[in-house]
Amino acid sequence: MDLKAWLADTRLVVCVGSGGVGKTTSAAAIGLYAATMGRKAMVLTIDPAKRLANSLGLETMGGEPTRIDLGPLGDGVAADGELWAMMLDSRGTFDDLIGRIAPDEAARDRILANHVYRHMADAFAGSQDYMATEKLYDLVQDGRWDLIVLDTPPVKNALDFLESPGRVVRFLDEKVLGWLLAPYDRQAVWGSRIMQGTSTIVFRLLGMVFGKEFLDDLATFLQDFGGLYDGFRARHAAVVALLRADTTQFLAVCAPTTSSTDVARFFLEELEARDLPRAGILVNQVHRTAFDEVGVPDDLRAVAQRVAADMPEGTIDRVLGRLQRAHVRLRALAATEQAQAASVGQAAHGVGFLQQVPRIRGEVHDLSSLLKVGQAIFEVDAPQA
Amino acid sequence: MKRAGQGRPDADVPDLQGLRDARLVMVTGKGGTGKSTSASAIARLLASQGRRVCLAELDSQRAALTAVFGHEPTFSPEEVLPNLWVMNITWPESLVAWLRTMIPVGRIVKAILANDTVRQFLDFVPGSREVVGLTVMQELQRRFDVVVVDMPASGHAFSTLDITRSALGLFRGGPVRARVEALRDMLRDDHTRLVVVALPEDMVVNETVETLERFRDAQLLGGRPLVLLNRALPPSLTTPERIVMDRLGALSMGEAAGDLIAAGQWDLEREAATEDAVVRLAEAARVQPVVVSPAPAGADPARTAEHIAAQLGRAMGVGREEVAWT
Repeated sequence: MDLKAWLADTRLVVCVGSGGVGKTTSAAAIGLYAATMGRKAMVLTIDPAKRLANSLGLETMGGEPTRIDLGPLGDGVAADGELWAMMLDSRGTFDDLIGRIAPDEAARDRILANHVYRHMADAFAGSQDYMATEKLYDLVQDGRWDLIVLDTPPVKNALDFLESPGRVVRFLDEKVLGWLLAPYDRQAVWGSRIMQGTSTIVFRLLGMVFGKEFLDDLATFLQDFGGLYDGFRARHAAVVALLRADTTQFLAVCAPTTSSTDVARFFLEELEARDLPRAGILVNQVHRTAFDEVGVPDDLRAVAQRVAADMPEGTIDRVLGRLQRAHVRLRALAATEQAQAASVGQAAHGVGFLQQVPRIRGEVHDLSSLLKVGQAIFEVDAPQA
Repeated sequence: MKRAGQGRPDADVPDLQGLRDARLVMVTGKGGTGKSTSASAIARLLASQGRRVCLAELDSQRAALTAVFGHEPTFSPEEVLPNLWVMNITWPESLVAWLRTMIPVGRIVKAILANDTVRQFLDFVPGSREVVGLTVMQELQRRFDVVVVDMPASGHAFSTLDITRSALGLFRGGPVRARVEALRDMLRDDHTRLVVVALPEDMVVNETVETLERFRDAQLLGGRPLVLLNRALPPSLTTPERIVMDRLGALSMGEAAGDLIAAGQWDLEREAATEDAVVRLAEAARVQPVVVSPAPAGADPARTAEHIAAQLGRAMGVGREEVAWT
């Protein structure tokens, strides 16, 4: 399968997978390769460890779109397109979003100043994931880019980042809000109001547990926040439609290890269950060997004797012994990895492509090594899984 | 030249005694560094010392510990090896346990949780998952000598523990505030230890240094964190051997010879990266890591954990046979 053609038809690539499998590097390599194909590509990373900045050789990358200076890429590769990158600033994105959907400035300011909001924006588990999808939608609407590559956070719980917008919307559902706000709507004073039914008891218990200050803060917050329900719901629907679009492709990224291929398989199942478009699997960091025998080839021994002639006695044997040990281990590793790749390919049968990307020497933290990764992805024919 | 694994004057030696005596050990690190296998190894090692250990994973739908122990851990701890229990701190069950610590009447807890709206409320309250998870860890300390937790990746682990600070501004009264204060004290206790698992790779070392800085600046922890440098290769060659290796690397050879030389260069690269990591951790974070070599190729997660336990045990002065898996 020709992955260049696949990329040409794609406008949004979502990379999913466990942590430490080169997901950020893959996302950046895809963006860079697209730029060499003349595309205007944006790579959005959510990772708090600033790894994309690292691999792009950028010291700092803020929450604003930054254009990467591609300069001369070497090997006669010219970048006709553009490569942009940005890091998600969860808090800033959330603030922006509130500003956009709040009915007026006063409401916006009340929300932004609220204790609950401030902590929710900072600490609400999943808000980072949620904000990523928000930002993604903004970038698509912006229209400056014809390809966006999203590097997702290494969430343990699979597709949490797709769930969190739904969680907020569900919570803002009028039923829940109405229930929580009931005592306040009646403008009753906390502790002295008279309420009926089990919800009152439960509500009072929650007050005992969380403290009345917290519930007061929460209610104030929700009175304003609740007004944003329609705005949130509309945005959520638009994001879901974007993720299901024909030009959106989810790519499962893994390393050739048991735990990582396991997670990739799980992602593919989850994507299928949610009816989201699956492109295929990238198996990163694959080791390869060509020589499949044990022992030291004669030509190597001869050459070693020549280049080590001036060295102390025993040097040659120790070096050859060391090489042999390294080779035995590399062969075993390569065999294990092929078995892993084969098993994930089998599980993903009929899904899309399965591309193996060899581990390249040294670390990928500049454009030329990123380009090598891109070439390994796109310039080698990918088998169907 | 300083060799990896040896002490550096600019770095504090790893606090293995602190790990040995710990009552709560939280294991984190960048994704893919081997957090779960390392947490399993630490748990196994401590269990081999006669301590009753509970190894817990923090709310994963896909428990990574399943790969190590062969079956999926649940909320109720199960003894998998002598002195070693394994569990998963799952959200719904933890929530019940947590409410029980606040509201001692089981019937009322049930009534509260029967209400859908309340469940969504608890799901939405910022920091609730973190506070509940940490509370379960604290409760487990009553039942076990030591609790070892396989935490999420570093950034997420930090925000989980930082809740003990940030939530104090949110909950200004009531039992939840008292609970958060108790959790803060638990993290500051001298018997609580953070272990950060790293690899000899630039990006991982950078993230490790950042993580250590964040924890130091936030002053969340009482004891010094321990860094485990996983899949690291200490230097193995003398200078003449290294020169010969370089000369061979510069030649263009046949396929078979080229393959052996390439394999050797992979290893040498890892050795150099190990040295770089040790130097960087010392210079940037004053930390001397415990260096752990890679498990044999093809080792399954249980075997890998045993391998790590053996090396960590050696650093602690524990015999290899004591940490055998079976």
